[in-house]
Amino acid sequence: MAAQLDMPPDMPPAADPMARGARPDRAGSREHLDVRLDGVTKAYGHLVAVDDISLTIERGEFFSLLGPSGCGKSTTLSMIGGFAEPTYGAIYLNGVDVSRQPPYRRDVNTVFQSYALFPHLDVYENVAFGLKRKHVDRKAIERRVRDMLALVDLTGFHDRRPAQLSGGQQQRVALARALVNRPKLLLLDEPLGALDLKLRKQMQLELKRIQSEVGITFLYVTHDQEEAMVMSDRLAVMAGGRIEQVGPPDVVYDSPATEFVAGFLGASNLMAGEVVERGGALARVRLDDGLVVQVARGRLGDRGPRVKVGVRPEKIQVLPAGQPVPEGRNSLEAVVAMTAYIGVSHQYTMEGPDGRSFSAYAQNLGTGPHPARGDRVRLCWHPEHTFVVEPSAPRAAEESSA
Amino acid sequence: MSGRGKARAGAGSARAERAPARRRDRRIGKAAVPYLLGLPSWVYLLLFFLVPLASMLALSAAVGDPIVGYSYGGHFAEFLDAIGQYHRQLLRSFYYGALATLVTLAIAYPAAYWIAFHGGRHKSTYLFLIMLPFFVSFVIRTVAWQFILADQGFLFGQLKSWGLISDRFYILSTQWAVIGGLVYNGLAYYVLPLYVAIEKIDRRVVRAAGDLYADPASTFLRVILPLSAPGVFAGFLLVFVTDVGDFVNAQILGGPGTYMVGNVIQDSFFVNQDYPMAAALSSILMFLLMVAIFLYARAFGRERIQEYAA
Amino acid sequence: MSKRSNSGRTIDPALLRGLTEARVSRRGLLQAGALGLGMAALGPLAARTARAAERDWEAWWKQQKPTDELVFANWPYYIDVADKGAKNPSLDDFTKASGIKVKYLEVIQGNAPFYAKIAPVLKAGQSIGYDLMVMTNTWQLTELVMQDWLVPLWKEKLPNFKKYASPSVVSPDYDKGNRYTLAWQSGFTGIAYNPKLTKREITSIDDLWDPAFAGHVGMMSDITELGSVALLKLGIDPAKSTKADWEKAAKVLKEQKDKGLVRQYYDQSYITALEHGDTWISQAWSGDVFQANAKGFKDLKFVAPKEGVMLWHDNMMIPVGAKNPLSALAWMNFYYTPKTAALIEDYVNYVCPVPDAKDVILKDLQDPDVANSVLVFPTEAMYAKAHDFYTFKSYAEYQSWNSVFTPIIQG
Repeated sequence: MAAQLDMPPDMPPAADPMARGARPDRAGSREHLDVRLDGVTKAYGHLVAVDDISLTIERGEFFSLLGPSGCGKSTTLSMIGGFAEPTYGAIYLNGVDVSRQPPYRRDVNTVFQSYALFPHLDVYENVAFGLKRKHVDRKAIERRVRDMLALVDLTGFHDRRPAQLSGGQQQRVALARALVNRPKLLLLDEPLGALDLKLRKQMQLELKRIQSEVGITFLYVTHDQEEAMVMSDRLAVMAGGRIEQVGPPDVVYDSPATEFVAGFLGASNLMAGEVVERGGALARVRLDDGLVVQVARGRLGDRGPRVKVGVRPEKIQVLPAGQPVPEGRNSLEAVVAMTAYIGVSHQYTMEGPDGRSFSAYAQNLGTGPHPARGDRVRLCWHPEHTFVVEPSAPRAAEESSA
Repeated sequence: MSGRGKARAGAGSARAERAPARRRDRRIGKAAVPYLLGLPSWVYLLLFFLVPLASMLALSAAVGDPIVGYSYGGHFAEFLDAIGQYHRQLLRSFYYGALATLVTLAIAYPAAYWIAFHGGRHKSTYLFLIMLPFFVSFVIRTVAWQFILADQGFLFGQLKSWGLISDRFYILSTQWAVIGGLVYNGLAYYVLPLYVAIEKIDRRVVRAAGDLYADPASTFLRVILPLSAPGVFAGFLLVFVTDVGDFVNAQILGGPGTYMVGNVIQDSFFVNQDYPMAAALSSILMFLLMVAIFLYARAFGRERIQEYAA
Repeated sequence: MSKRSNSGRTIDPALLRGLTEARVSRRGLLQAGALGLGMAALGPLAARTARAAERDWEAWWKQQKPTDELVFANWPYYIDVADKGAKNPSLDDFTKASGIKVKYLEVIQGNAPFYAKIAPVLKAGQSIGYDLMVMTNTWQLTELVMQDWLVPLWKEKLPNFKKYASPSVVSPDYDKGNRYTLAWQSGFTGIAYNPKLTKREITSIDDLWDPAFAGHVGMMSDITELGSVALLKLGIDPAKSTKADWEKAAKVLKEQKDKGLVRQYYDQSYITALEHGDTWISQAWSGDVFQANAKGFKDLKFVAPKEGVMLWHDNMMIPVGAKNPLSALAWMNFYYTPKTAALIEDYVNYVCPVPDAKDVILKDLQDPDVANSVLVFPTEAMYAKAHDFYTFKSYAEYQSWNSVFTPIIQG
């Protein structure tokens, strides 16, 4: 469980990453560990870019570092790649401390945000670069480069110069150039950032496909929460140089550990209140406007008495006013302030009793009438879907997760 | 539906008939513009390059002497005389020029590299320091080396008094002093283009090389050096051409047996007043330099260099 | 001596001459382009006008009107100065006596470059803007005479020359009867050496061939000087030498070079090389050594070797097209008085063409160092050792000399 330090201890059983069969066995023995960061800190003068990060990434895992710009995710990547040295702490690759090793000695390759292809070399030579430096046999180089270019769908582009390729093609060369070396770990620094949306979506799936084919550990840095969720086995949300939360996307999404995560990863309706009853299976929280909300006991943990409870917009059921609320649900009345139709769903902005704004999504099942602006409605959701975080400014929220 | 299709096809063909004529008119007008804009340059080239060049070639073949005057006489054997008499000085000039340029490169590259990669905020200060001696007249800063390298000067005089070098040792008046002077005087002209080229290299590409198992040596050889090739190329031309034609360094720092073709041209012109010989030697020098540049460009791939630069 | 240090000469004149020479040479190369251009275009015309018609110069002189101006082109550091160079007492005296204002220009840094500068202008039949200029008795002077670019002097107006001129400057080989020129200064080419480095006394030209000094012998790049010293070594009078003699001389010079004796073939910078100790023994001009001693390089010695010395003359002359020829004559006559010659000589220290100036320097100027120097006022014995340069009778002869001696320096 050492690897799980960052995880909230009260992980709901359904979301336990251990239960996910898609990932390799992780009994915790050393030779199965791929990357371990132990108290890694990077300071530039007084500015602390990365603040005491500890993290373990498993072999074969697709792991993402997710956070807004300036959160320290790229610096963390740089330190793992060897381009920056940690001020404190150590980085282990396969149990070996590589903190002070230069990049060219590390069995790690990087796909850079800008691709950083060699402009003077053609596609073939770009991809063969690393193998040649490792003095791989000529014939083996030829075969591996050819196979790799086939894998990224660039057969026939061997003689092109990077300047003659499109952004997506360059991206794939960068990927091939890194993967062809069969590194133990592949670092990807916002590799899709420069592509347009459609191409980006396509490449996300492509990357995922390639990763599952080659079975190499991917450490992926992005500020795009959707991208991270789509691709990752696990992800770490970072803010202010620290890790807010680590876990599989669904766990982090459904049970955000901090107010920051709740807000950064998807949308949340957060309400401040006070725990009034810890009880047995269900605890009760009295919101500041007097409404009492039920929360699964496990999700409350030992937080409180001041807390914030939250619920994801898509978990909220919108019922016409007066319609009976199913047994055991939390509910409140509201007025529809705004509606937006985005195809797959209707998105509503509601105004609650105390003027608080609420958002809710209703899947577009093509049935029944939809509430319109000004309609009085009743919102309800399952107590299991209610999560609890410490009420705090983002800074304080980080402290609670550390 | 089909009718509309036909109508559209008709309109299209009508447009197709009109278009080429109009396009041709426009093309002529447009095509002329760059040439018209270039007119001053063409006139300049004609006036200050082609006319002097033609007159230099004509003078090479002139007959006469300074008393009766020289006039065109089709005496093209002058070129052969010039080569026959002065092939040694010509070869020596190219040898000194090539050697000096290579040494200049060897010194300028690390300097430019260091300034570009490690100069930090003070890059322009360092460049200024490199340029500083060049605010002094070419001749005076060359003469300064006569003082520095003097047999009994503060450098060798001191070493001799310590018994570190023989009393008879000297550098001045040798080919090494001439080549050294050429190197010194060419340094800034090599550092600048190199600096510009190295400065332009994307640091992320250098990082990528390190990421791909290239140690610092192979990062330099496989990535930085090829990417700075335009600077190496441009600086080489700049320095080599001026070095080969130089005469001041040989005159001030040289000795017996260090005469370069520039000195011969000077003598032919001023001392012997043999203007055809001076002109013929200048023409030969120019021709040989152009051949050398051509071969050099061929060998190092002009296209590739342009591509890197792009 | 103290007078010299007060004269405001802070830059080593030899150095400056060396620099300016080289700088002018570069400019000269640019002109070479322009000149070449001009010649290609005007070649035939230039050839046609090269030989000007003989003129009745006596009649021409009589037509000239006196003016109150004189434009005088000379070499740097070649006239007396006072007030840190602001004044030239000799010229001021002249203006006081004659009412003629002198525009004194130090524009000549070498015979060849100066000739290259004025020749195209003279060839085009235009005035070069100078009324009087000073050039050495070398090929360029012969050329000026051959091209009819000098105005023959009107002797009637030069009584002082007859009265005061040293016999050494009267009717020289290169200008019989002083038809075109009067000497400004003369100088000896002998040997200078540093006894501390040679570790022995030097008496002979053969010492320039002593293997003990290998790599430290300075020779002159001026091929007239270079050839002449070798002729003297062989016991041949340069003025009467033949092509066969020249070839013999070239042979010993080549030996000297091939044995590694020669440090360098120097222009005026030979004196700097002596001062620095780069050369231990060198061909040298008397005045430079005199000035180097004055400047503090007291070790350097000038010696007139037993085989003889070369005596050269820098001469005043009037180029055709001069606007104030009578003023030029007036100055020449004024210069040839003991008082004026003494004023200038006490500053310049080459060889004075007016022997009577010695008394003036000794008594009126109180400078016995200069007055008693055999290099400034040579004795009969000194003159007996002196030889003149060979005077070239044609360009072909000049070229022939060059073809024999230039390969030595061009190696």
